[in-house]
Parts: sequence; C-alpha cells; structure tokens
Amino acid sequence: MTERPSVPFAVLHPYRRPEPRPFRLRLRLIHGVGIAGAVALIGGAAFAQGGTSTRSAFEVILQWSPLLLSGFLFNITISVLAMLLGTIAGIALGLVLIGHNPVTRWTGWVFTQFFRNSPWLVLLFFAMFLIPYEFRVAGTTIPFPDWIKAVIGFSLPVMANVAELVRGAVRSLPSGQWEAAESLAFSRRQTLWMIILPQCVKRMLPPWMNLYSLVTMATVQASIVGVTEMLTLTSQVHAAEGGRPDLLAPLYGFAMLCFFLYCYPIERFTLYLERRFKV
Amino acid sequence: MNKFALATLAILLGIGHSASADVLAKIKEKGVLTVGVKADYKPFGFRDPSGAIVGIEPDLAADVAKRLDVKLELVPVISANRIEFLQQGKIDLMIATMSDTPERRKSVLGIDPQYYSDSVNVLMSKKAKVASWEDLKGKVLCGTSGAWYNKAVNAKYGVEVKAFDGSEKPLFALKGGECIGYLYDQTFVQGKLIDTEWNTDFAMPLPGIMEAPWMLAVAQGEGAFAKFMTDTTIDWMKTGFIVQEETKWGITPTAYSQRMHDKYKGN
Repeated sequence: MTERPSVPFAVLHPYRRPEPRPFRLRLRLIHGVGIAGAVALIGGAAFAQGGTSTRSAFEVILQWSPLLLSGFLFNITISVLAMLLGTIAGIALGLVLIGHNPVTRWTGWVFTQFFRNSPWLVLLFFAMFLIPYEFRVAGTTIPFPDWIKAVIGFSLPVMANVAELVRGAVRSLPSGQWEAAESLAFSRRQTLWMIILPQCVKRMLPPWMNLYSLVTMATVQASIVGVTEMLTLTSQVHAAEGGRPDLLAPLYGFAMLCFFLYCYPIERFTLYLERRFKV
Repeated sequence: MNKFALATLAILLGIGHSASADVLAKIKEKGVLTVGVKADYKPFGFRDPSGAIVGIEPDLAADVAKRLDVKLELVPVISANRIEFLQQGKIDLMIATMSDTPERRKSVLGIDPQYYSDSVNVLMSKKAKVASWEDLKGKVLCGTSGAWYNKAVNAKYGVEVKAFDGSEKPLFALKGGECIGYLYDQTFVQGKLIDTEWNTDFAMPLPGIMEAPWMLAVAQGEGAFAKFMTDTTIDWMKTGFIVQEETKWGITPTAYSQRMHDKYKGN
C-alpha cells in the first residue's frame, strides 16, 4: 500500500490485467552451461576410447556437418509443407465438422477420428506404398519423389488434429456471439467468417504451434521408410566412419541438439502466446 | 492393404502406373539409368562428406551407365525397400549387397553369374597364431547370435563360438580380449579392416568359407535387360574389373572374384 499512495481506494478501480512480459528468448547462464555440457559430452566421448590414430568425434561431426545440416533442413522443409497442407485441409474438414448437414458432419467425424487415432508411422507407410512414384498425365511423366509422399503422410494426422482444433475453438466461443450476430441479421456464413473465425484464430494459434513442434520431431520417422533426411544421413555417416561404437552417441547427440535448438524457441513462443491471449 | 484396394485407389485417383514394357527402351528414351545402391555399407556403398554415394557398387553402376551411354542416377536403398523399388520401377537395376535366395528369385529377376560373393571369415587378433581353420580347434571366437553358420563352424572345426547380439557387442568383447577373433560376414570384416582403428591389431588371415553369392537384379519380365547385365557381368569378370575395384577401395580381393576372373579371362 505504501508504494502506491497516489491511488486511494485502489479496490474501487476496475480490475486491470497485468501487462504480459514481451517475448524475448533470453539466454541465461543456465542455457549456456547446458549447451556447453552437451557439446562437451558429444565432443569428449571419443577421447575416452579413441586412440591417437582415430579422429575425435568433434572433428568427425565438423567434417560431416554440412551434409548433416542439409539433412536437417530437409526435415524442416517436410515439416513446414506437411503443416501447410494439413492446415488447409484441416480447416476445411473442421468447417465440415461444425456444419449443419448431419450426413457430411458424420462423415467428417469418422474421417477425423480415423486419422487422429492412427499411429503417424502407419499413415506414413500408407502414403509411401500406396502413392505411385510417378504420375503420367497426358503423355508427360511427373515424378513424385519419396519426400513429397512423406509430406502427404504427415499432413494426414495434421489435418485431423487441425480439424479438431477448429471445431473446439468454434465450440468454445460463447453462444452469445452467434445470437448477437443473428439479431444483427448476419447470415450463418457471414457470422462464421466475419465474427466467429477471427476470434478463433488466437485461440488456435498456441495449440497449432505445439502441433507444429510435434510434426517437426516426428519427421525423423521418415528415415524408417527410406527418405534421406537427417537421421538416415546420421546412420550413413556412422557407417562411412567405419561404424566406430564411440561415435554413436556424439552423432545422434548432434541430431538431437539440432532439433532441440529449433523446437525449444517455438515452445517458448507458444507459452508466451498462451499468456498473451489468455487461453 | 491388398492389391485390389491398391488398384481401386489408383483408379479413384485417376492414375495409371507408367507401363514398364521394356526397361531398356525406357532408359534410352530418358537418357538416365537409375540404380539402387546401399549407402550404409562400407566399402560397397557409402557416403563421402560431400553427400555423394561412393564405393564398389556405385562404380559398377557407373560402368553400366557408360556401356548404355546414358547418365547415372543413384538411389540409396535399404534392405526393407530395395525389392519394392525394383518392382515399382523406381529403380531399373539393383546393385545392393543382396544375397541370392530362392525367395528373392521369385520376386525379382536375378542375374547370373552372381557378381560377387560374401563368405564367412574371422576378424582375428594379430597375436593369435592361427594359419588355418583347423588351428582354431579348442579356441574361442566371438560371434553374432542367430548367424546361420555359428553351429556349422563349431561342428566342423571344433571352435567354441561365444554369441552376442548384433555386431557392436562382439566387437567390444573382441577388444576386451574375451575371444581371439570375431566370426562374421567376410564383407563386414573387410570393411572394418579399412580403418586404422582395426587394422593395427587385427587381420583376416584365413580364407573365406561357405560362400554366399550376391546377385544383381532387374524387375521380373525384363529379359532383354537381364541378358545385357549377364554379358556385362561376364565382361567384368573377364577384364578383372571387380578385382580392381576391390583393390581400389582397400579390401583384399575375395576368392570368388579371383576364381571368376581366372575362369573367364581365358575365353
């Protein structure tokens, strides 16, 4: 009370929410220690067993890092495209889910539940082995490489999850919004596009980014079906280095570090948005 | 998902699989030969730091492309997808360390003569004074559990095989001195001996036994291409190309390659 003498009877003022702290990815000492520790673990593990004749894990990773990072970039590309494709399809499916036509709504529901409750790897296998490797349209051959199939495979669960996000966000808005719009003679379509969906965007954004983080981490599963992404390259690099057992942890540790450094800021930003939007 | 469902899906999407009537004509028309090779089996097919796939099998593939006067495209394959890729037509030819088995001959068209052969051998400590398989009697070798030859080698040469899971654990045990050598695929042993980590204290003093030939493969029904590959393989053996490749990539030429070279070079 002594700090704010200028505000008498503060209790009578309307409640004001505290301003959220602006988003900043602050690297504190603890982060530095963590990363340095990880690097030391990765680089130092080799010295324990490697003799003078073998190169240290750090040198090996340094030499192969352009190739490994190009693989990582490929993971990012797959995740971004899968998210894009899945979101577009998911919004469409979500609108079907909140539609009035019971036939399309139930069909959409079955569709959503099927893709939401299937293991991602199984969907990936389906996409890999059911889609041909090239299409022939009017005499020209359009190649359809593995990574595009992987994008489709990952976009299926994204679609179903986004559809649920859309449905949930629309349902979570108070029904007063619909009623007010109706009393102002908005049509159902106008209400949806001009009043309901704009309010849904900020409710959907944090879980949507969460989903993106999950998709990014899931893209390494593409290595199982033979897409040349980071994990595939990591194991090939390990083989090219003569399969030294002491390189296993540093090489995979490097992959883990890349994913962590990419996903952690996204996670922090999601938390910030959640606070900001108060969802 | 069965064939019927697959066909239905294809029709639904309005897709026709590109007809693979004659793969040789297709290769010539496109000007590209697509070959499936391994990218994780040194020195047969592995990555260099630029990301390119190099090794004995990529070299063989390059030679086939040169003979056909087309460009070469390498596709990295793994054991789980190589036959699938060949059947789909995604690759025209497979040179991917595949052992010849009757089951595989049913799904793909294997090329005779087989271009290479793996066999069973021992990564032996240089301290062990072993000059022949018979000298192993009463000694202890490390092995990989489940390898089909463990029992046979034990019965024939009276050597005790201490089996471990996978290929990393027996190597550790070997370094730890639990056994005098590691009984495993010769191609694997040779791959290890390229690296200084192994070739200072270990060697492969014995001849390989129980040969298991590897085959090149093309898709079923590609008789013309198969004939071409048979001729190519025989020519490789005649000129000693495979033996040269083994030397180039730092492994001792196998008895099989030498024998085939001797057999065909006279003709």
